[in-house]
Amino acid sequence: MTATPLRIRARWLGIGLSAALWAMPVPAAFAAPDQIPSVVETPTSEHHVGKMIWADLVTPDLEGAKRFYTALFGWTFRDVPTGPSTYAVASLDGRPVAGVLGRAARPDEHRQPAWLTFIAVSDVDAAKATAIGHGAKVLLEPKTFPSRGRQAVFADPDGAVFAVLASSRGDPADFLAAPGEWIWSSLLASDPNASAAFYQTLLGYDVYDLETEGGADHLILSTDDYARASVVTLPAGSHRHPHWLNFVRVLDTASAAAKVTALGGRVLVQPHLDRHGGMVAVVADPAGAPFGLMEWTDSDTKVEPK
Amino acid sequence: MNTPFKSVRLLVIGPAVAIAVATGCVASVGGGGRYDDSVDVSYGVGFYEPYGYDYGGWGPGYRVGPSRGGENRRDRAGRAYHAPQPSRRTPSIPTHSRPHR
Repeated sequence: MTATPLRIRARWLGIGLSAALWAMPVPAAFAAPDQIPSVVETPTSEHHVGKMIWADLVTPDLEGAKRFYTALFGWTFRDVPTGPSTYAVASLDGRPVAGVLGRAARPDEHRQPAWLTFIAVSDVDAAKATAIGHGAKVLLEPKTFPSRGRQAVFADPDGAVFAVLASSRGDPADFLAAPGEWIWSSLLASDPNASAAFYQTLLGYDVYDLETEGGADHLILSTDDYARASVVTLPAGSHRHPHWLNFVRVLDTASAAAKVTALGGRVLVQPHLDRHGGMVAVVADPAGAPFGLMEWTDSDTKVEPK
Repeated sequence: MNTPFKSVRLLVIGPAVAIAVATGCVASVGGGGRYDDSVDVSYGVGFYEPYGYDYGGWGPGYRVGPSRGGENRRDRAGRAYHAPQPSRRTPSIPTHSRPHR
């Protein structure tokens, strides 16, 4: 049977449409996994399981976040296309420090921006199995980004959200954080004793129980003989749920907190002296994402609280 | 069967297959989304904090920071984790500075 001109036109139209779809520019979403960059400036042979090695922020105002963190900490940003959103990598003196993803919040979305803490692991899938086996939930399945590594997002048994990352190019080396870099992480937990046990099982931490006043727990999680994070009692008067809170090192917490306010953010916990003899504060960026400010002087010049 | 429908099928199926393959790539690349169905397709992280909650309760004596090292430890009963030997010194954060470039 011979094809009619109508059929021929239809066939070529179909083939043409197919070819057009294939020939379209590759959407950024397809290329994104290769473009999510490493957490280190240059590949390292360092591996520090249990160390906080990255933080990501999802915010509805990417440009506003860039302005805020640049003005506050001197971070510089480089945009990485990720399809429907833009992922901007923040660096300080050329060293990657954080990622910020711009995405509009839906009107019915009752969630607010928050920094997501990434903790180094050697095997994300093994971590997932252990986490699930000890009461955690998987919020984002393990996924590999060639330049960065393999990562996943979990909620611990207490509900605190965190991510694990097996960096494909090594972990940042253990140096004192420079001003503007993350220096400390705290888990505010309903039951620090149980949370410390969970993270010890997951990440092999040594757990040190420090003396405190007022009955609140203050546990130190340690690997490689370095303190990596604290687990503290979620304050009784807090309306927050259990969560991780990351601190950026600053030279002067009070002036940094004042700058936060001047830049449109808020001070959530006023500057005050903490255990190490430096001032800490909790602030929020203009979009509401909380983070901490922490002084760390080379010499302990302030009076350490008793 | 060789009817005009064959041409229509080709017209419809060709692009459909292309779209299916393309969206299949998105799914395999994107993954995730179990917690927040509005997560970014290609990177995956989303909004994780419930909206509207505020800080409070950080009263006097409430501490979160690291130790300078060597602080006294409590040895309480009923802990759920394994504690290091009592001889182990409470560690501090890395305190040596990065070499200048």
